[in-house]
Amino acid sequence: MAEEQLAFARKASGLVRGLSMWDAFGVGFMNQGLTPSIVVMTSLGVGVYTGGNMIIAVVLSVILAGIGMPIVWGVLGGSMPRSGGEYIYNSRIIHPIIGIAESFGNAFVWIMWIYVLAPWIADPGLTMLASFTGAQGLADWATQPYATFILATIANIIAFCFVVFGIKIFARAQKIIMAIGIGGCIVLTVVLSISAGGFADSWNEMAAKHNSLDYNAFLKAVEAQAGAAMPTTWNWFDSLGVMVAASWAFAYAYCMAFIAGEVKRPDKTIIMANLFAVLVPGIFCLWTAIALYQLDFNFLSAAFYADNLENYAWSIEGFNLPFSTNYVGLAFIMLPNAVLGVIYALSYIAFALWWVTLSYLAFPRIIFAWGMDRMGPKWFTDVDARWASPVKNHVLCFILGEIGIALYVFWTNSPLQGLAVTGLEVVTVFGVTAIAALIFPYRKRARGIWNASPYRTWKLLGIPVVTLGAFVDLIYLAILFVFFFIMPDLRDFTRTGVIFFCSIWLAGILWYFYWKWRSRTVGVDVSMTYGELPPE
Amino acid sequence: MIKLFFVTDIHGSNVCFRKFLNALPIYGVDVAVLLGDLTGKVLVPLVEKTSSSWECTLMGQHVAIDTEDELGKIKKTIENAGYYWVHQTRDEFEAMRSDPARIDALFKELVLKRVQEWLDLADERLAGKPFQMYMAPGNDDWFVIDDMIDAATLIKPCDMRVVEIDKHEMITCSWSNPTPWDTPREVSEAELEAKLEGLCGLVKNHETAIYNFHVPPHGYSLDLCPKLDENLTMAAEEKIHAGSVGAKKVVEKYQPLLGLHGHIHESRGAQKAGRTLLINPGSEYSEGILKGVLIMLDKKKIKDYVFTSG
Repeated sequence: MAEEQLAFARKASGLVRGLSMWDAFGVGFMNQGLTPSIVVMTSLGVGVYTGGNMIIAVVLSVILAGIGMPIVWGVLGGSMPRSGGEYIYNSRIIHPIIGIAESFGNAFVWIMWIYVLAPWIADPGLTMLASFTGAQGLADWATQPYATFILATIANIIAFCFVVFGIKIFARAQKIIMAIGIGGCIVLTVVLSISAGGFADSWNEMAAKHNSLDYNAFLKAVEAQAGAAMPTTWNWFDSLGVMVAASWAFAYAYCMAFIAGEVKRPDKTIIMANLFAVLVPGIFCLWTAIALYQLDFNFLSAAFYADNLENYAWSIEGFNLPFSTNYVGLAFIMLPNAVLGVIYALSYIAFALWWVTLSYLAFPRIIFAWGMDRMGPKWFTDVDARWASPVKNHVLCFILGEIGIALYVFWTNSPLQGLAVTGLEVVTVFGVTAIAALIFPYRKRARGIWNASPYRTWKLLGIPVVTLGAFVDLIYLAILFVFFFIMPDLRDFTRTGVIFFCSIWLAGILWYFYWKWRSRTVGVDVSMTYGELPPE
Repeated sequence: MIKLFFVTDIHGSNVCFRKFLNALPIYGVDVAVLLGDLTGKVLVPLVEKTSSSWECTLMGQHVAIDTEDELGKIKKTIENAGYYWVHQTRDEFEAMRSDPARIDALFKELVLKRVQEWLDLADERLAGKPFQMYMAPGNDDWFVIDDMIDAATLIKPCDMRVVEIDKHEMITCSWSNPTPWDTPREVSEAELEAKLEGLCGLVKNHETAIYNFHVPPHGYSLDLCPKLDENLTMAAEEKIHAGSVGAKKVVEKYQPLLGLHGHIHESRGAQKAGRTLLINPGSEYSEGILKGVLIMLDKKKIKDYVFTSG
């Protein structure tokens, strides 16, 4: 029975905010990128930290990210419901310079996601699809740099089109892509759950067919390459290390902050949608981990170690299977059915494609918010009257994405790809924003916003919930930060990457001072746009 | 050069009106323009359960109020969101629920009371200060509000007339084209165009004029809003242009220096229409956020503008 309405409304015009919790959840969940994120957790996570226990990594991630992320992003988004993402929060709570420098870094991160993830649609996305269906020629072609560039460019164009023509096309496409992605992931996980028995025999049968290493020989060959035996059981250190890669499935729902200005009841919607966008991938990751642990621990570590090598599992001499040993490949070995293989690959491609698409949601809105604060040229705020979207910003995003794809494909620079993006985000976006949330109730410059916040009365043991949530979030981020920087494969990042990211921050600071100076020349003090007006 | 601060559609929000007055010295404003809609849309009865407890529905949520302190806070929340409250017994609430005329009368009483409170507060805050402040209603506002603004001491009325702002002629129109809600000040497109043409006829120099039309011109990015279904529920996936074709015609015909608009809360932005800069500062009154725009006006050109959010 509907609840009694103790209110009267009169006929009046002017409605605002149209996106529901389902829409917000869709944006947040799709940016967690289920199937490719599980590939990352297994192949990049266990592949590096071979003694990692995925169940522990997932449970810890869900607890820490499930508490910290929804509270940090939900409270900030609900208190400042604008569509500029974390730039709004950090510039208002910490300082405009930090806000713009951090946002500069994040804008670059979203471009990085285009040039890192669009090529993944070609390889391993299309290569998996082709090899599962026996189209080896297509699989080989897709791995060629020029082919990867062409396919990534096509993906970039499709992603551009999904967003540039307005929210209607975006929302409809998201539903279809989400159905393909989740459907494929469910099928994949069911197969892993019910077909893992007799895996060694299935492997050997597949290996014999392709004149490849059998189960035991593969394990020995990987161990020889690694120079050490694969662990037969888990340890805590490696389990925490797996959390870095697992964060792809749990830390990225914050994308919904870019539509905070458009959701209905943002005070409740953002926090709840963020929570569900952590819990749902958590269920899938846990289910996958439990299913995979039906296999021998050391073989699983070997398979993921091999898949994380430069030339995937083909780096192992004698390995001749047509697909690599990521968790999707292992599922195909269990039940080698071309139709199922297509479903798995399409799930991977769907999520990877939507990741690229979400860059077109975020980047244009970031620079739109800069423009609104007079921190960029006026055309940053131009909205196309026909398509109801900032078309010029989308075009800029496309151009930068294409340049990135070309550099990525033809001039691979390892410090600037894959998990390096996560490293930048942990420090630049998540870390700074968690600090903003931590100090939000105590910051004098944001006192007016806090006093108007619907969360100001949320307290536990007398401490604001947002501060406690931010503290939990910072614990999570600290784990990611430490294990990211000691990750063996990414040591280069600590040199080139840090210099690079510092340069971006510096560029952001210079950008801030340039626009502040420029506005002052025409009589505008831009700092006034960051201040909260006294309400009394 | 003068600094013009333009705000629109605060819909009864007490906190937004107070922020507006406070913004004038903070932003260093010379001229402030507050356009309608000035009145709120929701009346929240605080229904007595016992002598010291009440209940109400606020933003779709049932709220139980058990102390005088909570009651004070909820009243402030209601006022800040642009809503109105009234104490009622359960019998009074039931009687009013079945009598739309009584609801309408009570709405009007509370709306007018708040507008008068605002005008009095403005008189108090603006006294002896250098700011010029203009005010006009919007399509949601009853006509009696015009009389109240006309009678104000320091606030100047500007609706349906020409006022001069530092050599710039400003014309203001509170009327809109038809809306799905059948509000007090809406007319057909043809009638609206005739009203606007009449206003434009009063302007001597369009080149430096400011057109202050509540409804934005049709077809630009400032009039995009979610499409409504037959139940007036928003279809979040589709946006339509809800501006006035008549406003578009006169703006494109006379090409004033500046067009200031509101009405469509979600379409905050600026766009050029030929030589005319069109601006809609948007509105987030229900969140207590004062959206506005500061415009630096030279004699014959707009030096710059910046959106504000406070």
